[in-house]
Amino acid sequence: MTTRGGTLTTARPRVGRLGSVRDRPVLLVGLGFVALLVALVLGVGVGSVTIDPADTIAILAHRFLGLDIPQTWTDATETIVVELRLPRILTAMLVGCALAVAGATFQGLLRNPLADPYVLGTASGAALGAAIAVLIPVRFVILEFGLIQGLAFIGALASITVVYKLSRNSGLAPLTSLLLTGYAVGSLLAAALAMAMYLSGAALRQIFTYLLGSFDAATWPRFLATLPIILIASIAIMLRARSLNGLLLGEQAAAHLGVDVRRERRILLALASLVTAAAVAISGLIGFVGLVVPHVVRLLVGPSARLVLPLSAIGGAALLAYADIIARLAGGIPVGVVTAILGAPFFLVILRRARTGYEV
Amino acid sequence: MSAAIVELDAVTVAYRERRALLDITLSIAAGERVALIGPNGAGKSTLLAVATGLLRPAEGRVRLTGEPVEGLDRLDVARRLAVVPGAANLPFATRVEEVVALGRLPHEDPFRGARPADRAAIAAAIERVGVGHLLGRDARELSLGERQLVLIALAVAQSAPVLILDEPTVHLDLRHQVGAMELLVDLNERDGTTIIAVLHDLALAAHFFPRLVLLDGGRIVADGSAAEVLTPDRIREVFGVDPSFVRLPVGAA
Amino acid sequence: MFPLSPFAQRAAPSARLAALIASFVLVLAACSAGSAASTSPTASTAAVATPTPLLTAAPTPSPTTVPAFPTTLTDDEDTAVTIPAEPQKIVSLTPASTEILFALGAGPRVIATTEFDDFPPAAVALPAVATYTTVDVEKIVGMEADLVIAGGNFFNPPEAITRLRSLGVPVLVVYAPNLAGVLKDIELIGSAVGLSAEAKAMTATMQAGIDAVSAATAGLVKPRTFYELDVSTGPIYTVADGSVYVEMIELAGGDPITTGSTADFSIPLERLIAADPELILLGDAAYNVTAEQVKARSGWNVMTAVKTDAIRPANDVIITRPGPRLVQGLRELALAIHPNLVLPSAAPIPPVP
Repeated sequence: MTTRGGTLTTARPRVGRLGSVRDRPVLLVGLGFVALLVALVLGVGVGSVTIDPADTIAILAHRFLGLDIPQTWTDATETIVVELRLPRILTAMLVGCALAVAGATFQGLLRNPLADPYVLGTASGAALGAAIAVLIPVRFVILEFGLIQGLAFIGALASITVVYKLSRNSGLAPLTSLLLTGYAVGSLLAAALAMAMYLSGAALRQIFTYLLGSFDAATWPRFLATLPIILIASIAIMLRARSLNGLLLGEQAAAHLGVDVRRERRILLALASLVTAAAVAISGLIGFVGLVVPHVVRLLVGPSARLVLPLSAIGGAALLAYADIIARLAGGIPVGVVTAILGAPFFLVILRRARTGYEV
Repeated sequence: MSAAIVELDAVTVAYRERRALLDITLSIAAGERVALIGPNGAGKSTLLAVATGLLRPAEGRVRLTGEPVEGLDRLDVARRLAVVPGAANLPFATRVEEVVALGRLPHEDPFRGARPADRAAIAAAIERVGVGHLLGRDARELSLGERQLVLIALAVAQSAPVLILDEPTVHLDLRHQVGAMELLVDLNERDGTTIIAVLHDLALAAHFFPRLVLLDGGRIVADGSAAEVLTPDRIREVFGVDPSFVRLPVGAA
Repeated sequence: MFPLSPFAQRAAPSARLAALIASFVLVLAACSAGSAASTSPTASTAAVATPTPLLTAAPTPSPTTVPAFPTTLTDDEDTAVTIPAEPQKIVSLTPASTEILFALGAGPRVIATTEFDDFPPAAVALPAVATYTTVDVEKIVGMEADLVIAGGNFFNPPEAITRLRSLGVPVLVVYAPNLAGVLKDIELIGSAVGLSAEAKAMTATMQAGIDAVSAATAGLVKPRTFYELDVSTGPIYTVADGSVYVEMIELAGGDPITTGSTADFSIPLERLIAADPELILLGDAAYNVTAEQVKARSGWNVMTAVKTDAIRPANDVIITRPGPRLVQGLRELALAIHPNLVLPSAAPIPPVP
């Protein structure tokens, strides 16, 4: 079916956008998985200790495929590969996936291209929780999870709950209210955090480490504990892609298109916050991933959440995995610094492309 | 006369005073083409909000195709009524066809998205409204008139028996105004779509709509043909202007 | 734990200040937390360091007939650390522990230290597995270390310590809030590496050296002493109440001027002027702070110390490093406070057998 002056694609309304390349989403998904696989291999093979790649493969085959291979490597090598590097790269992927999905969700929910997972105060809440955990003179390990991780998780969820409850009392439109309340509560928590840091003394360094984000604390128990939370919540969000799409033209239009706006907003907010809280609990505050990855994906496949969410999940996982590899190769700098270096130029590009939409 | 498709029965809405509705009883039959007119603050948009289930009336009942609207969920309403969205800021670059595709939201498979029937409806809507030449363009970069047409296409793609528009011609130039009106007439007469449009332009209303409902201060003041509704006395009374200011088409009073 | 001041002249001023502040707070927090207790395990295991009361008792003798390994020691965080065999691949994560290990004679068994170790020279040449903020757990595991000595009170990231332990590497956490704690840590490390006898000899010698200084300064008039840590960024940083500096300065025959609080390391100029120091010791002398600069500071000229030109440099590193050179630091401090002091000649540390 054609119309005057243009070609109408009957195949699908969402088509590739970069130049004349028609990126079929399936192709992108395939590329994404390849990138993840390569990241996995690099992440396990690369580190401050040089390990023969043959040994790495042999160890993995032996431990995970159950192949009976005579042990030609040292126990130390196996420990490094299996207990240190593997959970680390997997955690990086998990957190990257979580942050990208949460970022895409918040951007769609708040209809704001500059939103990121931390926009409603979760970052400050998590940081304050972590700081309190550092300052409490108690060493506390629940299921090998750690007090810092636990309090960061609680702090993140608590702050978003406070933001949500407070925003309901405002006379402003719900979205504006959420954003402004998030800003206000976030600022308050940041002030509390600054106070905690001032009083922290020797513990200051550890609070800083949390703020900058790192995967040094990635262990199997932590990975396995957060994996179900992030996976299930992310899938739950993806199943609600329709609601996110409906919100593109505003809440009223969404309601007229059949979206129960109040309910969907609450659910999506809760799910995205849960995902964010789980991510920051194990990795600290890593920026730019949640902001930039969804935009890059939209450049490729358009704004439909049905494509943006899963592709962001893959893209975020890959980005953070490579960022961690780079961070380690660069001498152990915080991974948040690498994502900032990678993400800041993208962020500037997004700013340039962002428009207010209908300018009257 | 066909069955009533949108009915308001003694509806009263207390909503920020300026937009209150008082004891509105209105019945619109399937296949009608109705214009809601009245001065600012008369309650026209509020009436639409109640009719589409966004606002709950303090008193009275609203029925869609005979069913009370409180018993319908948003999806049910969306399949019965298509509302042309107001101009909104799009947060991301969105192509025209992607905007129109949003109209299929109530029909899409929640998990797998657009099906062939959906894609066909989108293509048909684009063709029908005549925005095919805009395909591939970023909707944020269109002119006001083009945007309005795209949004109408979105509502058309929704394939609902009722199409509702709230001041669709506000930013349009004369050519686009007339074009939009002619499209509405075409949709109504060819497809049998019930059209309910809030209009501020009396001339357009009088020319293109066989039935006008005049609202003032939250009440229905008149309901009938242009000749019946837009008498000089009424114009003076309701709009507060000399009737000679209102240029009505030949044939109207 | 004594503050760490191996901030070589190479370090950037801001890093130096940050580290200084970290050190001060380390000391302060330590003192307010109280000294770590250690308890004697059952008789069947090898000797464990017992608390050494300040200035008085000598360490208890160790049983010599029981084999040294395997052993379970209680570290300064009250964690029981089991060392299955005499460690041959030791990693030291604090400069003080490095000095202790080398002084005890375990130097050849140390395989890695931190990036900022500065003494002895042999240690500086060793590979680094830790920076100010991170510990390279992978490298330590890769080197197959069988003992790691780490710093408590956040000196090394607690997470790294937990990680190493979870991977089966014995980690001994040391943290000395005062002189007695230093001696205890030397014996603890000695037990951990199978050099208990050497450690006891060393602490005995050190104790004697401390006692000698204390005796020599006992009857002297103690000048009001202001120990300057840093003024380069504006606030005047000096010793806090209850910090190890206070202990050292008092032993060395001085009357330390403190900030008035255990948590705050800064003192307002007014308070300092009101305290009127008779002696100013420049702990930041290593950063090219001179007496001339001090005299030129506005408002400082009213102080007795400035008027009488009693401004002397101090080697902050050895005064505060909780290791074998501490007694030397104490002696130098005493001589800085009482230049005409006569001290008995110092016994070498480690003691010559």
